Formats: sequence, structure tokens, C-alpha cells
Amino acid sequence: MSTSSATISANPSVTGTSGAAAGRALMIGLAGLALTVVGFFISHDYHAVALAYLVGITYCTAIAIGMLLLVLIHHIFDASWSVLLRRQYEHCFAAFPWLFLLFLPLLVGSWMGTHDLIWPWMNPEHEVHGGTVATDILYQKKSGFLSLGMLTGATVIFFLIWIWLGSRLRKASFTQDQDGDLKWTHMSRVTAALGIPLTALSLTFAAIYWVKSLEYHWFSTMYGVWFFANCVRGALCCGVLIMVWLHRRGDLKGVLNNNHFHSIGMLMLAFTVFWAYVTFSQYFLIWNANVPEETFWYNLRELNHDGSTNQWWYVGLVILFGHFFVPFFALLSYRFKITHHIIRRIAYWILAVILVDLCYNILPALKDEHGDSLPFLSSNLIWVLTSVVGVGGVCVWAYLRSLPGTKIIPIRDPRIGECLTHHE
Amino acid sequence: MSTAGTTITDPTMAAQNYGLIAAFDTAPGLYRAAEKVRDAGFRRWDCITPFPVHGLDKAMGVKRSIVPRISLVGGITGFITGMTMIWWTGAYDYKLVVGGKPLFSPMFAFPVSYELTILFTAFATIGGMFVLNGLPMHYHPVLKHDQIRRGMDDRFFIVIEARDDRFDAAKTRALLEAAGGLDIKELEA
Repeated sequence: MSTSSATISANPSVTGTSGAAAGRALMIGLAGLALTVVGFFISHDYHAVALAYLVGITYCTAIAIGMLLLVLIHHIFDASWSVLLRRQYEHCFAAFPWLFLLFLPLLVGSWMGTHDLIWPWMNPEHEVHGGTVATDILYQKKSGFLSLGMLTGATVIFFLIWIWLGSRLRKASFTQDQDGDLKWTHMSRVTAALGIPLTALSLTFAAIYWVKSLEYHWFSTMYGVWFFANCVRGALCCGVLIMVWLHRRGDLKGVLNNNHFHSIGMLMLAFTVFWAYVTFSQYFLIWNANVPEETFWYNLRELNHDGSTNQWWYVGLVILFGHFFVPFFALLSYRFKITHHIIRRIAYWILAVILVDLCYNILPALKDEHGDSLPFLSSNLIWVLTSVVGVGGVCVWAYLRSLPGTKIIPIRDPRIGECLTHHE
Repeated sequence: MSTAGTTITDPTMAAQNYGLIAAFDTAPGLYRAAEKVRDAGFRRWDCITPFPVHGLDKAMGVKRSIVPRISLVGGITGFITGMTMIWWTGAYDYKLVVGGKPLFSPMFAFPVSYELTILFTAFATIGGMFVLNGLPMHYHPVLKHDQIRRGMDDRFFIVIEARDDRFDAAKTRALLEAAGGLDIKELEA
């Protein structure tokens, strides 16, 4: 087994192509970020650009968190089939410090000026429902949690948790390639036992602070779970894209088999159902209880103040069908799950709809003078795309830079044999 | 004596030939033999192994199970049943306003429909599996084979049924012999 692996890895040409691709990814990423910065200064509404950037950074961070969770879950279950996939996720963890760095502008921006660059509750003078944040009883009651210092501190802690867990997992896995010591596997298992609750809590609070608090009057106990479902769905889709890419390039030829894709596809299907379950539950409970404190959040996404349907209503339908029905029925098929070009398209599709879902949750916080949400299809969408390309490009660069540093598969992992002969 | 003799020699009661059974000592031996039987075009035949042999489906030319399709039909039936039931009871048969909600809405019908989707999918899956496997099966001719217990322990078998169109007692026996089959015996139905 180790002999067959040795022939696969350490191919100098692979390192060369990765280097060039990494350079391209960085260029594209920096161009996206530069455009976003230009947009921030030339746009008539810099809040919109800042919010678009929040979509971009949240999107990429969500995918990275999903990868972290999948690796932690892999270790806690002592899973075998996913060893191949795990190595690629470990390379992706290299993006966490950069994501932290790229999040900092939002924190710095919040400390400057009137503080409400992104989150309206940071400015006591921000107008809400005829009063201001400072006079709003709901804000007063929540002010212990929703404060500039708390959000800043929490965000720093979240990223430190993710960076720490990611680097521990990377170190254990990469060192095991050298010495083959089982203690690294055991260390990762401890990391997983610690890391799962830490990651679960941090991603929940990140979703609440970064996204949900944009409408701080709103209540939903499903929010963290909704975010978690998107995190894992995004991570699985990126896993598929990486696997297909490495297979096409030749690195994983003869290593990856149909059953690996079948297993990833089944997880994608499971999390599609899970996402739908959670998202529907949130909507259904609010619909059923029908109290204005909760329904206003969906009303903003369906109706204008004069009762006419706004664009977000259609976006909601796109999410319902695009985020659930289409992937659900597509992923039921065995053939679709194992055919590389089909599963790759499904992965791209889901990744695109996750972005729409995040837009749906973040962008309606932008309102016009009547209190209606600004439409989905507007120039703001350009800044969402430049932000995603910008942050995403930097993440891809971090991954590609890490990739040639180790063997393409963890050849001394105790479960690698089982993984390579993965069967139904 | 004579009655017993008649019973045995009565042509209508004579033991019918179920097929041929051949033993193999190793999993690779069985695997290669299965490929030969598959390539000879047999349809009504099976392998008996003490443990799952991965890839044997492919060597036998067995297609993927159609149980998932039966499951899907069950799931869709369950979903429609749930929606229809709630619409029937609340909006048609006995109109009743509950909690100021519409008489029917897919929103509140969804949890029940969803549960029924799962329930009917499970029924269809189990039922489909039973039907396709011919379960429950209280008797099978291979049980008469005195060696068959080893099929749960350390030996592998291939059984080719006589009702297969390509079955020919002599030729099929020769095929199994050529494929490395040992202790080839005829099975009574």
C-alpha cells in the first residue's frame, strides 16, 4: 500500500502547476478585493458595499468552518473512507488566518466614525421605528450581548479557535506522514472531542453576531443550525470540486473510486435534507405563531410597505427550489453522485445557491426611505461578487500554497488502507 | 415395501433436478469462476459465500438494485397521502378553522406529509427488498446439500439453476469444472 502511494506523491511537476495556479488565484483574489475597495469609495452607499463584503467573507468562512467540522467529525468517528478528503480539507485550513485578516476591515470600520458601518445597533443614534437604538427597549435589554466590544472580542476568539483547531489538525496529520506515529491520530481525536463543541458554539455565535444581529429585533432559535447546515453543504461541495480537479489532473487517478464519490454524495443529500428541515422549521414556526416580533423578518423579504411583492420574495422561491428541490432530486440518483462532471455541476449549483441564501439573510438589512428592503438585483450584487471572488481567491491561494507541501494522501494514516479500498 | 418402492419410482414424484452446485476453496477462485459463469450468459444462478466478497456483484454481472426506485415511489405516495389527508379532513370533509389559519395550507400540512414520506419510504424499501429477494423463504433446495453449512464457514459455492435457458446438465458441469469448481453435485428441487 505504501509503495503504491509513494509513486503517486511527490511529483515535481505537480508542485510547479500548483505554484502557477496559486499565483493566478492570488492575483484574481487581490483584483476582487481591490475592486471592492474601489466600490467602497466610489459607491454612493458605502454601507451596501460593506454589507456585500460581509456576505463574501461570511460565505468563505462558512465553507472553511464546514471543512473544519467535517474533519473533526471524521476523527471523532474514527472514519476510514474520508481519509483522502480529509487531507485536502487540512490544506484548506491554511485559509483561516487569511480569513481573519480579511475580516479585520469590518471590525476596524465598526470602531471608526458612527460605528454603524455594518451593524446598526453599534450606533446609539441609529434610527429605528421612530426612535433610536439607544431608546429602544429591545436594544437596552440586549445591550450586554450586542456591544461593539463584545462583537470584536467574540470575533477574535472565534477565529483564534478555528485557527488553533486547524493548525493542530494540520500538524498532527502532516507530521504523521513523516514518522507514522499513531499518537498523532490519538491527538486528533482529542482535538475533535474538544473542537466539536467549540466549533459548534463559535459558528452559532458567529452567525448570530455577524448576520442575525443585523435585525436585532428578530428571534430565531434555528439560526445557528441553519448556518451550520450551509457550512457543511458548502464544504462538501468544495470537497467534490477538489476531488474531481485532483482526479482530472491525475494525482488521484486509481486512488479515488466511485464509492468515495457515492459517500460524499450521500452526505450532500443528507445535508440537503437537513438544511431544508431546519430552514423550513424556522419559517414554519414563525408562520404558525404569527407574531409581529418575528414575522417582520420574513415580511421584509416578501413585501414592500404598500403590500406589493418585492424581489426577495422571488429570491425566497429560488432558495426553496434551488437550495432544496433541485439538489434533492438530483442527489437521489446513484449515477449522478458518481459521474464526475454531473456531481461537479451539482456542487457548483449548491455553492451558488448558498451564496444566494446568505444574500437573502444579509442584504435586506439595507433599506430605503420607506423601510423597504433594497432589491436583490442591483449594483450591490456586483460588490457581493467582487467580495466573493476577492476573499475566495485568497482562500484558494492559501490552499494551493499548502498543497505541494505534503503527500497528496496521508500515506501513514492507520486508516488509509481501508480508505483506498473503500466499498459499499 | 412395494408401496414404498412405488412412491420412490413414481415418475411424477421423482426428485426434480434443481441445478448444479460447485464448491470453491478460495474467494479469488469463486470470483474468477463467477466471471466465467457470467460470461457464459447464465441468468438464474447465485454465489454462496460465508462473508461479503467485495466486487462479486460486478463479477456476477448483477445490476444495481431497483429497491431505491421502489423507495422513491413509496416516498412520493407518502407525501401525497399526507397533503391529501390534511386537505380532505380540514378543508373539504369537515371545514374547520384552526388558529385563524387558512382551511388548507401546505405549511401546516408539511410536517405530517414529511413524516409520512419517511414512513412510506421505509415501508416501500423493506417491502421491495422482501419481494425482490423472494422473502419470506422457508425452504431452499441448497439446504439439502450436505456441505452447505460450510458456506457459512469456510467454503464458497456457485449454484446454477436447471431452469436457466442455457442450462445443460453435461455442458454446465463441464463449465463449472473448467472454472475450478470442486465436488460438483446435482441438487434436488
